[in-house]
Amino acid sequence: MKLNFSLSLKLTVMVVLVSAIVIFSLTYINIEEQAISLENVYSDKAVILSQALDTAIGDHDELTDKQKLQNYILNFSNLNPEILKVSINLPDEKELKVFVSTDMDSINISSGQYNNFSYENDAVVNIPIHSGNSHIITVITPINLSGQIYGTYEMLLSMNASYAAFDIRARNLVMISVISLFILIFSFLYILRKIIVKPVIVFRDAAKIIGEGNLDTKIKIKSQDELGELSNAFNHMTNDLKKSRNKIEEYNRILEDLLDRKDEFIGQLGHDLKNPLQPLVGLLPVIMEKEKDPKIKEHLNILIHNVEYMRDLIIKTLQLARLRSPDTKFDMENLNLMQEVENVLTSQKLFLNENNINAKSMIDKNISVEADKLRSVELFNNLITNAVKYTPEVGGDLTIDAKKGKDFVTISIKDTGIGMTEEQLSKVFDEFYKVDASRCEMDSSGLGLSICKRIVEKHGGRIWAESPGKGKGTTFYFTLKSANEKINKNV
Amino acid sequence: MVRTIIIVDDDPGVRYTVKAGIEALDEDYQIIPVENGMKCLELLENNQIPDLILLDVMMPEMTGWETYDRIKENEAWRKIPIVFLTARTDRIAKDAGDFLAEDYIEKPAKIPELKQRLDNILKKRLSYHS
Repeated sequence: MKLNFSLSLKLTVMVVLVSAIVIFSLTYINIEEQAISLENVYSDKAVILSQALDTAIGDHDELTDKQKLQNYILNFSNLNPEILKVSINLPDEKELKVFVSTDMDSINISSGQYNNFSYENDAVVNIPIHSGNSHIITVITPINLSGQIYGTYEMLLSMNASYAAFDIRARNLVMISVISLFILIFSFLYILRKIIVKPVIVFRDAAKIIGEGNLDTKIKIKSQDELGELSNAFNHMTNDLKKSRNKIEEYNRILEDLLDRKDEFIGQLGHDLKNPLQPLVGLLPVIMEKEKDPKIKEHLNILIHNVEYMRDLIIKTLQLARLRSPDTKFDMENLNLMQEVENVLTSQKLFLNENNINAKSMIDKNISVEADKLRSVELFNNLITNAVKYTPEVGGDLTIDAKKGKDFVTISIKDTGIGMTEEQLSKVFDEFYKVDASRCEMDSSGLGLSICKRIVEKHGGRIWAESPGKGKGTTFYFTLKSANEKINKNV
Repeated sequence: MVRTIIIVDDDPGVRYTVKAGIEALDEDYQIIPVENGMKCLELLENNQIPDLILLDVMMPEMTGWETYDRIKENEAWRKIPIVFLTARTDRIAKDAGDFLAEDYIEKPAKIPELKQRLDNILKKRLSYHS
């Protein structure tokens, strides 16, 4: 809806702006032209009136008889109500002075026109003055005396009557403009909506449906323009996408099948390897106990370590394969974290003491998590074994703590071991990765932390490790879903 | 005092390992190896009642579960402790080890460790009976 709204809005603004500019410019030009033509009409009228006056005066000798001339123009001006003022300007030294005028006050003062101001024979000067409701035009026409400019007639005409009519016309014109503007805008919008917005909405909806995975969607735009081409290209693209997706799905099926068979194979192989390993794992420690020769004991020790490694590798590989399998179900239950960790530490007591590890739990007794009991024990066992393995023989501390978040509990297992570099931290959960190969090449598979990662991820949590650096210890963190307290209380 | 244990496993290597290993460590143990559940039941019917039965789970013909059920069905044999020795480490085997049988030992097992656990179970039995 958002796209639709904003596209329409943009088009509307654009159409309104363009239409308004065009319509109002046209209207303005029209009114201006009419105003100018009205002024020209009055100018012509004034010229005709001046010519009539000129003819009426007849002999220019009379121009010297001031009184006679004064009466003449007074009578003349009374003939036409539009005439506001008539003056005859005659030269006096540098400039033209008002000789006679219907406006008595202006007689003998300067007309504002220069003596040497040269008029063409039929040149007319008109000066329209508009102020408020009064529209006056001053028209100056030359008095020709045997081919020479002798003076000027100055005539002031009122254009008010014509302007009143003109105003009404102009107002109508503006109204018509506004109406046509609206019609223009709506028809433009209608057309734009039909040819641009609607197809865009069709494309948008189709893209949405395709995005949801329905690649059978086709766009039906038949127009023979760019939009038609676009819809063809769009349909082509969808078709190609469908083909690629089908191919990927097919490969995916093959891969899944192969993965299933791989897990099955690993499971079978691991299982079958356990039986032949039984005599080796079972009897070598017995022989070791009975043997007295230190040289042979040394050889046996190497054999035992290698057999142990093989055993660990087979068991952990099987565990990983089983964890990877989608059939593996977890039995989720509410576990009191403190209780679980106490149990793990108790069962590991001998192992921890042998390695001089001082382990303690700081977990609050009220924290419960939702987890599979056996897998979480395995998780703690693996992480504790790992911490012990990477702590020097002189011993160290192991601290287990838990912090309750909103939905998850973050559990930390902190050791005072050899620590890790940034690079080692990034690889520590990779399968078969060993931080210090020389330390444990004999009896570790390098799969323990991969198993931890998988167990945590199957629980919907996250696992990571932090270390301040080499020799400064490592802390492993993982998250488990916080148990629903209500259920916990009922239990 | 001689302690008799029947080991039921279809794999000869496993049977040999358990017998040879435990007998080498402790002369007081007598291990009777049999290759399937039927043979084990035959022995019991002949009144050869052991102190403990070590039972494999995945066996052809008669599985460890079936053998277990048959032994527990019999009033006279019910009290014989049964320990599962299996390569199956999934939940079913583990549950069985935890709740049904006396113990559950994962293959491949170290004989000294295996013997230690058997010792513990037998010691518990003895103190219980006396």
